Amino acid sequence: MSKPILLAVFLLSSIAALAQQKFTIAGTLKSKKNGETLIGASVRTGSAGTVTNDYGFFSLTLPEGTYNLLISSVGMQTQTIPVVLNKNVTLNFSLEETSKDLEEVVITAAPKGRSLKSPQMGIEQLSTREIKNIPMLFGERDVLKAIQLLPGIKSAGEGNAGFFVRGGAADQNLILLDEAPVYNASHLLGFFSTFNSDAIKDVTVYKAGMPAQYGGRLSSVLDIKMNDGNNQDYNVSGGLGLISSKLNIEGPLQKDKSSFLISARRTYADVFLKLSKDPSINNNALYFYDLNAKLNYQLGAKDRLYLSGYFGADKLGVGDLFGLKWGNGTGTLRWNHIFSNKLFSNTSLIFSNYNYQIDIRNGANDVTLFSQIRDGNIKQELQWYLNQKHNVRIGFNSIYHTMRPGDITASQGSNFNNQAFQRRYSWENALYASDVWKVADRVTLSYGLRLTAFSIIGPGDFYNVNAAGTVTDTMRYRSGQFVKTYVNLEPRAAASFELNDISSLKVSYVRNVQNLHLISNSTTSSPTDKWTASTNLIKPEISDQVSLGYYRNLLDNKYELTVETYYKSMQNQIDYRDGANVFVNGAIEAQLLYGKGRAYGIEWLLKRKAGKLTGWLSYTLAKTERKIDGINNNGWYNARQDRTHDIAIVAMYQLNKKWSFSANWIFYTGDAVSFPSGKYSSGGEVYFYYTERNGYRMPNYHRLDLGATLQLKNKKHWSSELAFSLYNAYGRENAYTIQFRQNEDDPAKTEAVRTALFKYIPSISYNFKFK
Amino acid sequence: MKLFTTLSIAAIMILAYSSCEKVIDIKLRDADQKYVIEGNITNEPGQCSVSITQTKAFSEDNNFPGVSGATVTVSDNGGTAIPLVETGQGIYTTSIINGAPGHTYTLKILVNGKTFGSVSTLPLPVNLDSIFIEDRILFGDSTKIVNITYKDPAAVGDAYRFLQYRNNVQEKTVFVNNDDFTNGNAVTTQLLVFGNDDDDKKIKAGDSIKVTMQCLDTPVYKYWFSIDAATGESNNATPANPVTNITGGALGYFSAHTTQSKTVRVP
Repeated sequence: MSKPILLAVFLLSSIAALAQQKFTIAGTLKSKKNGETLIGASVRTGSAGTVTNDYGFFSLTLPEGTYNLLISSVGMQTQTIPVVLNKNVTLNFSLEETSKDLEEVVITAAPKGRSLKSPQMGIEQLSTREIKNIPMLFGERDVLKAIQLLPGIKSAGEGNAGFFVRGGAADQNLILLDEAPVYNASHLLGFFSTFNSDAIKDVTVYKAGMPAQYGGRLSSVLDIKMNDGNNQDYNVSGGLGLISSKLNIEGPLQKDKSSFLISARRTYADVFLKLSKDPSINNNALYFYDLNAKLNYQLGAKDRLYLSGYFGADKLGVGDLFGLKWGNGTGTLRWNHIFSNKLFSNTSLIFSNYNYQIDIRNGANDVTLFSQIRDGNIKQELQWYLNQKHNVRIGFNSIYHTMRPGDITASQGSNFNNQAFQRRYSWENALYASDVWKVADRVTLSYGLRLTAFSIIGPGDFYNVNAAGTVTDTMRYRSGQFVKTYVNLEPRAAASFELNDISSLKVSYVRNVQNLHLISNSTTSSPTDKWTASTNLIKPEISDQVSLGYYRNLLDNKYELTVETYYKSMQNQIDYRDGANVFVNGAIEAQLLYGKGRAYGIEWLLKRKAGKLTGWLSYTLAKTERKIDGINNNGWYNARQDRTHDIAIVAMYQLNKKWSFSANWIFYTGDAVSFPSGKYSSGGEVYFYYTERNGYRMPNYHRLDLGATLQLKNKKHWSSELAFSLYNAYGRENAYTIQFRQNEDDPAKTEAVRTALFKYIPSISYNFKFK
Repeated sequence: MKLFTTLSIAAIMILAYSSCEKVIDIKLRDADQKYVIEGNITNEPGQCSVSITQTKAFSEDNNFPGVSGATVTVSDNGGTAIPLVETGQGIYTTSIINGAPGHTYTLKILVNGKTFGSVSTLPLPVNLDSIFIEDRILFGDSTKIVNITYKDPAAVGDAYRFLQYRNNVQEKTVFVNNDDFTNGNAVTTQLLVFGNDDDDKKIKAGDSIKVTMQCLDTPVYKYWFSIDAATGESNNATPANPVTNITGGALGYFSAHTTQSKTVRVP
């Protein structure tokens, strides 16, 4: 397989050999205020230019001469630096933040993905400023909820942290926190996400045209990068909210060189529960906490180490009856090495863990169930800034997954038997190469290839299952024995054509392969949904997506218009059989059915980037369907997340130095659901008769949220603010569920009952910063 | 994980302070009518009966009249097919066949030109050792809960259904157990009822509680296990019809099961 890569390298080398006398300017861009490296900052001169990588590094090769370099980054003052290029130059530079005193917040640089030149499409980014201003439930700033206001990214609904990208399922999003996969990004049964926005530096979502360094999920990549920590000054900041408090401490270990960051958050809903006299409330536990920590250390001019970690957990307990705990832990150790001004290397050692534990206390019959998924992961990547025309990336990634589907421990004398479901081991390898090639002045092509091999490794029993779901054959594998290896080639290609100075056209194709599947039978997500690796019978899911987009800057770059359309086909999609028992040992394949999916749509985004009033208007028109053998008479049916229309309007207004206001309004077509088309009696009770899968719709959902922030003090060493929000401002009773039942007073009648959550939830929080 | 879902909704409600329920109007399509067959044969004498009804539109009342004029037969271990006699509208019975543990029964039905069939095996009986009432705190309220004890046999694959009657009124909740996690053990199981806010329906001192235990074969267990998805109130599973053991495209079940009851007065 390495042939295409070798060929590409060979071709690129020969192009390099033909080049004339040129020099390279390279370095790292940082923020002057806190020393954070700047991701996606632009370095340009005339038509030549580049952007900084994930670690703030850039490299630009130009013919000998004198240049004015224009350096810009979102939220930073643009700088012009004259450079005489008659030898290779190292330029490490720090940008000043845009002053808050400016009458107008002017954002000059476009975020990296929105650049007209870059062939990257299907990309969405939010700045921390935007995340801070969008009003949220209980005033809890939330990255995952904020991105759901962008086109093509749909919320899974209230009480559900999951999201759906371009018709994909919630498990088809690769969520990375400092490169470590996060398996369950939800807190408190999905009302909040695991990401503490105070600790986050950059959030990027790829909906299409994923670069070759990403893989493993079908629908999207959500790449979240933590702050490195202030290497200039010590900083303590925090917030007191209605349901949670947070504290953030950062500072230099060695000024300009190394720093640390610790950010913690805990909810205290349970503290209020304890205050209640009602034992039905004060007996319950309900809280989560999370901790982000990061250290970075500059070893010398060419080497930098980063160590980052995340740990979070939830606890839910109902009286003496039931307890549920779940949590993620991740750790990432990274080493940046600059081999030369053209060759940048990063090596990462990554650890991820997700587990949950259920305790059922049933008299003398206590039983505990523990389940875990754990990854060890190594990544190596080289970025080679070959010349002005080519920017090459080569890397590999190797992950070893260990899954414990369920270990049951029962108390002495219990009814229950101690039992451990079979552990599953798998090894996922990927090799990739990509090149961004400036073909012509206005044409850029990005192409790459990702080769993945997913090996299922013994020990364990593997099965053959017939069409009726009965196990026909059991095969036993020894420890270390390879059960099966799935090899897949994932081509990636994208091109941009600048039509003129203010508009461009982009097109892309991407194939993604997914070998870890979250198998869920329920309509709402739960922390106990089951992750399962591919087996001899569960085939890797595969998606192919083509996308076409038009991008235009309007009115002097004040507005930006994006229109993207896509078609995606998906193979080897999985669903449960009717009446499946989700919780069994042995062959899970006996409970599964397989099929395919398709999704298509068009997305509009109009964004106002400058002035006192900023925000966006997003509209998605989309369709997503599944066809699974054994469901809906084998015909196409709407996926649960199929929503025809999805609108979001987000507005932020800076009135003066003290007050800023924000509002968002969302509307979407109700989810596709299965409602009964009849009823019958069985065992003396009324049951409902279902004929087609997802043949009905929930009522349309809409909601307005309002927010306001009042700056209290803004002194040199101390600042504080009050943030107010009102969730669901006009009190719309959006359906959380619709249930069917016999009328209590007249059992001869049946009725439909709608349950709505959250009518007008006001909240207030206090944030402070000690500098 | 029904328990989990119920509890999480309770937790959400605690969190939300306010959540509101409202009866709403929904336009539901009326599907073509389907036959619903419920067949039972037990180890007690004279207990072989089959009822045939049909599905109705959602908007109609909850009176499900039986379907008359069907030809219904049951055979014992592949023996002669014994015809069942219509003794009430849509109710077909016989006293010629008595269920015996270990025997397999075959049901055949011909109704209005359609044929349906099913097979069920009557399991060996497992003794219902005792029932007793226990007070537990459920969501803060002290609740009286019915406990059952039995000894699960050593072999894998036993399945049970329990019916709870309070003063001769049957509890709606479908209680099923199998031995996936309890094989070969002395089992105490609790019949937990959720969402019962009506004080009049709760178990009180002085009530007469009867529990009937049925030993089921696996396909019948699957039917009662999966009926949760058809209750219309489940958040747990994607709504679907329960998995039937009847062939030919009808809803319902044919169950050969043991039956044993015990009654206690609530102290």
